[in-house]
Formats: sequence, structure tokens, C-alpha cells
Amino acid sequence: MPKANDHAILFDASHCTGCRACQVACKQWNDLPAEATVNTGSYENPPSLSADTWIRMKFTEGVQQGQVFWDFTRDACMHCTSAACVEACPTGAVNYREGGVVTVDDNWCIGCRNCVQACPYDAIHFNEQKGVVEKCTLCYDRVSSGLEPACVKACPTGALHSGTYAEMKDLANKRLQELKAAGYKEANIYGLNEMGGTHVLYVLLKHPSTYGLPVGLTTESKKVASGWLSAGIAAAVLGFAGVKWLADRRNEVGGES
Amino acid sequence: MKGGEWGIYIALYFWLAAMGGGAFLISLGFKDRRTRLLGAWLALIGIVAGALLLIVDLGQPARFWHLLVGIHPVSVMWLGSAVLALSGLGLFLLIISKEWPEWLVWTTAILVLLVVGYTGVLLMATSRPFWSGSPLLPWIFLASAYTTGAALLVLFGNHDPRLRKLSFNFAIIEVLLVIAHLIWAYSQAKPEVNSLISGEYAWAFWSFIIIGVLIPLYMEAQRKALALAAALVLLGGFLLRYFIVYAGQLGVMRF
Ligand code: SF4
Ligand code: SF4
Repeated sequence: MPKANDHAILFDASHCTGCRACQVACKQWNDLPAEATVNTGSYENPPSLSADTWIRMKFTEGVQQGQVFWDFTRDACMHCTSAACVEACPTGAVNYREGGVVTVDDNWCIGCRNCVQACPYDAIHFNEQKGVVEKCTLCYDRVSSGLEPACVKACPTGALHSGTYAEMKDLANKRLQELKAAGYKEANIYGLNEMGGTHVLYVLLKHPSTYGLPVGLTTESKKVASGWLSAGIAAAVLGFAGVKWLADRRNEVGGES
Repeated sequence: MKGGEWGIYIALYFWLAAMGGGAFLISLGFKDRRTRLLGAWLALIGIVAGALLLIVDLGQPARFWHLLVGIHPVSVMWLGSAVLALSGLGLFLLIISKEWPEWLVWTTAILVLLVVGYTGVLLMATSRPFWSGSPLLPWIFLASAYTTGAALLVLFGNHDPRLRKLSFNFAIIEVLLVIAHLIWAYSQAKPEVNSLISGEYAWAFWSFIIIGVLIPLYMEAQRKALALAAALVLLGGFLLRYFIVYAGQLGVMRF
């Protein structure tokens, strides 16, 4: 679980208009280049996060029971408390910093991309020019000097907030009550339990999966444990079979060499 | 640009290390020093060549030593590089020593087994649905290590019929495991499985099944052109790694 005084961000989907000011502000503050993309028939752009895009708005759109729906969610690193990227990293380059923020030490990263494969949010990416991985830093440079993250600062509708984890959790609960009172029965808070609790919380109007958010996540260490268990059983079973087949003929033909 | 996926070097590394490692583990079932020494050499070459490929593949190859100065046992990548380095050392010691002390043989055998086995764990512990969709990747990689390891020994002139039997049996197990994996992972990894059956990587998948498994099985059953059959098995082992590595990265976990 994140600590009460950790840095945190709250995204309130009920206030988001999908204007993407956060997306632009992130590019500007972090000096990230634009990407050349093609129109795929959606306002969602770019199609995924990358080493050059650390935050983007995810658009979920369609028609359900004759009603058009058009929902927006924030797509960026969640700053997990049990972060898959940190646990998968063989050098400790991507790690927890003070206040629970997860950042990459680009002088230590060897560019093995194991973190890229591990992250359940597809939020950390390899920069081929630099040979290291990059992702959202929760504006560590800004928050550690008492400033708001660039995305939060730029948000014109009050959909993004930042502060301590305790403050953001309280605010999220307050919004949840208001939304429930206003008739949004499915409203919920995302990020309280995922990956040990994330430092970015979402207030959502519908079930997380309707926004394309992963649910029922397993932490990296659990996955690693079940991987080794499976490999151990495989080694025993297949090894036993191999030894048996190798020994067979020795029994059959006796002393022959 | 996204980029940065694991590519051909990784597939080659999986193949080389498993093939050499498998040959060494199988050679331990033989009493004669020649076969055992050949096994140790093949494993050492596979592991050293594989490790070099891994280093070249890094975004910052000159920093590879960062792997060795900390301890990160939960990271399968870290543990893999540790056992890779230690097994290389063990094999080297075996090759230069006249007598093979029991403890060294055992330690090296366990390290080599870990080298062959960790790659499946590495892929399983990711957020890629095709890799983590079933617990069978370590099984597939281990079975394939024995199939290709035995074939490698055959190719190097060992005509013991037990080797052919081993390669034959493990090839059948391997292909059954691959099919089981595709079925098991299908619900989570439809695009990936479809890309193997009829899409982008179908050429690799079907070449693996036909050229890498069925034809050599037939040739072995007929006792014909055994060296060629062994070579096809090795090719199949590479195709298997190729399509697992590439198709696995078509998607990320989404619900
Ligand atoms: S969202 Fe991904 S990159 Fe961010 S801390 Fe969690 S695992 Fe790491
Ligand atoms: S790419 Fe860098 S940060 Fe990611 S796991 Fe490898 S060393 Fe760690």
C-alpha cells in the first residue's frame, strides 16, 4: 500500500472532456518529440504509449443499447507500489524513489527491456536512440520542489488532481459518494488494490474493463513464483523421462558398449 | 515509435543455449569421456555465443556488468544472467580438468538445467498474454532442449540408437505441448494464436510442425538420412523460438 504522505495523482473520469491538454503539457515539460501517426478513425492518438509519449488519453467509443458512449481515461504509468517493472529489472535501474514514485535511472539502465515486457499497463518503453527505457516520472523534478505535475497543472476541467496519497484517496472517496448520489451506480475507484496499490488513482463511472483497464492483475513476484514452480515440475517430469529412455537400452543390452 | 521488442538475437540465444545445454545434460547419461566432453564443449559454445548475443542486443552493451554488481533474485533476467555466467565457468572447469569430480558435474548440470529452464519462466512472468497465458512455456523449452540437444549429438557423429529414441520421443512431447499451449492460451491471446495458425507467423509455425517435427519423425521412423533428420530438428528448434518470441509480442494484456 502507498504511504499516506507519498506523492499521488487523482484522475476523475467524470470531469474529463478528452481535451488532451495533459498530453501536450507532458510533451512540453519533458521535451518529448511529437510522433507521426495515421488516422485510425478515432480521436485517440497516438495509438499507444511509447518512449516519446508518456501520457495519452484513451478513448473508448461505440454504441450500446442504442446509446452512443464516448469515454476517456488517462493512460500512463500508475506508479505501482509492487511495480512489475521494478521487480523485473535485473540491475535496479528502474526503482522506487522517495514518495513512492517509480523512475528510471538512465545512467544505470542497460536497455534489456525486461521491464517493457513486465508492465501490465504498457507504460514503459525503449528509446532506441538512447538505448535505455523511458516513462512517466510523475514529474519527480516538479513534485519534489513542491510543484504540481505538468499534466495536472494543465488540466482545465479539474479532472486531474495531485497531492499526498491520503489527500487523493479522500478526494476520490468524496467524488465517489457524490457520483453515487447523482445516480452513477457503477462508479468506482480504480488503483486501490492493483499492483499493491497504485500512486495514481482513477475515479471511474463504469467498470474498469469498459475503459480497457486491466483487472485481476497478478504481481510480478507471484508470476515469477508460479513460473519457477512450473519449470521445476517440468524439469522433474521431463528429466525423469529422459533418464529412463537413456537407461532403457543399457538394461536391455547389458554389457554392450 | 514503439520499438524495443525482443527480436532475432533473443530467439537465436534461446535456441543456442537450449541446444548446447540439452546436449550436455544428455551426454551425462553416457559413460564414455568422449561423449561427455563433446557435450560440455557444445554447451560452452552455445552458452558463450548466446551470452554474446544477449550483450549485443542490449541498448547499452558496455553496461552489461551492471547485471553482476547487485542482487535481484526476483528478476528472472538477473537470475538468468547469473546462472549463464556460472554455468559457463562450470563447463570451462570440466573441460580443462582430467578427472571430473562428482560435485562439479552435479553443480554444472544443475546450472545448465537452470539456463535451459529459466527462459520459459522469463517469458511466463511478463504481461504478454501469449507468453503468460499458460504455464507450459518452460515445459516446451525444456522438451525442445532435449530434442535439439540429442539431434546435435547425432549430428556430431554419435550414432547411439538411444539418442534417436530420445529425440523422437521428446519431439512428440514437444509438439503436443505446443498444441496444448495454443489451446490453453487462446482465450487470452486470440490474435497471437491466429497469427500462428493463419496469419503473419503461420510460415514459421507450419514450417516448424512439418519440416522441424513431422518430416524428421518420419525419417527417424524409417531410419533414413539420420544426419539430415537431425539437422531439420535443429532448424525446427529455431523456428519454435522464433515464432514464440515474435508472435508473443503482438499484444499486451488487456481485459
Ligand atoms: S505502471 Fe508499469 S511502468 Fe509504471 S510502475 Fe507500474 S509496472 Fe512500472
Ligand atoms: S531496460 Fe533498463 S530499467 Fe528496464 S529492466 Fe532492463 S535495465 Fe531495468
